[in-house]
Amino acid sequence: MKCGIKFCGGCNPRYDRGAACREIKKTLENDNIEFMNATEEEVFDNLLVIGGCSACCASHSQYTVNDEIFKMWEKDHINKIVELLRRKS
Amino acid sequence: MLMTGEQYIESLRKLNTRVYMFGKKIENWVDDPIIRPSINCVKVTYDLAQDPEYADLMTVKSSLTGETINRFAHLHQSTEDLKNKVKMQRLCGQKTAGCFQRCVGMDAFNATFSTTYEIDQKYGTKYHENFVNFLKMVQEKDLVVDGAMTDPKGNRGKRPSQQVDPDLFLRIKERREDGIVVRGAKCHQTGSINSHWHIVMPTQAMTEEDKEYAVAFACPSDAEGMFMVYGRQSCDTRKLEEGADIDLGNAQFGGQEALVVFDDVFIPNEYIFMAGEYDFAGMLVERFAGYHRQSYGGCKVGVGDVLIGAAALAAEYNGAHKASHIKDKLIEMTHLNETLYCCGIACSTEGYPTAAGNYQIDLLLANVCKQNITRFPYEIVRLAEDIGGGLMVTMPSEVDFKSDLKVGKNGETIGDFCQKFFVGNEAACDTEARQRIMRLLENICLGAAAVGYRTESMHGAGSPQAQRIMIQRQGNIEGKKELAKAIAGIK
Repeated sequence: MKCGIKFCGGCNPRYDRGAACREIKKTLENDNIEFMNATEEEVFDNLLVIGGCSACCASHSQYTVNDEIFKMWEKDHINKIVELLRRKS
Repeated sequence: MLMTGEQYIESLRKLNTRVYMFGKKIENWVDDPIIRPSINCVKVTYDLAQDPEYADLMTVKSSLTGETINRFAHLHQSTEDLKNKVKMQRLCGQKTAGCFQRCVGMDAFNATFSTTYEIDQKYGTKYHENFVNFLKMVQEKDLVVDGAMTDPKGNRGKRPSQQVDPDLFLRIKERREDGIVVRGAKCHQTGSINSHWHIVMPTQAMTEEDKEYAVAFACPSDAEGMFMVYGRQSCDTRKLEEGADIDLGNAQFGGQEALVVFDDVFIPNEYIFMAGEYDFAGMLVERFAGYHRQSYGGCKVGVGDVLIGAAALAAEYNGAHKASHIKDKLIEMTHLNETLYCCGIACSTEGYPTAAGNYQIDLLLANVCKQNITRFPYEIVRLAEDIGGGLMVTMPSEVDFKSDLKVGKNGETIGDFCQKFFVGNEAACDTEARQRIMRLLENICLGAAAVGYRTESMHGAGSPQAQRIMIQRQGNIEGKKELAKAIAGIK
């Protein structure tokens, strides 16, 4: 499964978004998921939008995503995101 | 094409910008230890645009070309764009704890875009086309542009044309078939030396008598006849000292202001955006000032974030972090800082499209934003100094902390004594960490960065009275009287 990653711009994040992303990738490293930074040239199965706060304002409509778009905006969402992505792998 | 930070620095080396400081011409100003931290600050705007964690704010699709550009070169197309501008500025403030200088250009782009459109509508001129062509070039090359507005102004009681010296406001000295020759100067120019180009705008509304002062144009920063005299900052020569890395407080980043002199500079027709249409000078000033008053609701908040963090660390390093009054002061600092952010976001949310199509902020709320900026950073600084304690201004130098000069009866060095007596909460930090955080507090509260965080908060984008005039104009007191009459039953 190819999963795009899109960060919000990070103006005032309430947690370390980069660390959260690394933790998700590490937890899922043995699952069949290929993570990559979202680009308009690629087609993704799923997209993970990592916001820094509840506004979760990252733009994502420009990307081609065949299945679902998952959003997170706090550290406590990590486990839920891992679970959701694992189901898609 | 987005430049990398390194490419930006190399691009500056190709310019022939003339810089003077301490009475001398600075040949290699890019590597000058006093100037370089301000260049590093601008570089951050390029570096962050390359980072996926920040690209959503730092980059955007150009409304002119459809290409991905740095947001600092963007024409706002929606209230979302206006909000993202403020968010980007907060981010850059957090990463530099200083002034990253690129906002004035962005605010000049947006104000000039809409004003030139309206000038052309009235007078049939070609300024808007000139400007759009110029901005396309800026976006394509990912350039830094200084938005230069503030004239020296001489006797504040006199209009431009009434001054004893006619050059105290920048003016058209000569009109030619192929362009104009301008003479004068712009003061307090943030980031002018680090810019590839300048956009020059009038400093105030003009009358018919001041027609030759109603002038706006673009010119390269190394145009023939143009030079800069570098502005001094508190503690600036610490940057020249050996072994003063800690004493600088913020060794990597800094701000920059300069006097920019136009000693008969020729401006070709294609770069002219206003030349005598005095009835539009006020519009350009008001729009630029509005954007810039919005800007401060982002950039100063980002620096405030760093200052609050520094104060919290100082409390921890001093071992005072559990005291309730310290916690309360940090809450107050956060409350004030986020209030400023609210103002920046609010005036963006209430933005509206101009006739030219780009978005303008709500003028009343932007002026309220800036009015608060003239006050709250001072209170935030006061609380930071309260929490930090006197050590932030009385601590010996880094050289003393590292000195091996023996002065003690048992052979202890000056360094030993400094290390011994300036120890804090040993469980939280070593002495050097305490030194570093105290110096950062000093840097922002009253050192080199105070130029940006304090005095620029007071006078940048217009002094407090300028906002009060706008608040009075926009505040609709008559409407409020009618509300009161209706409630009170007065007919």
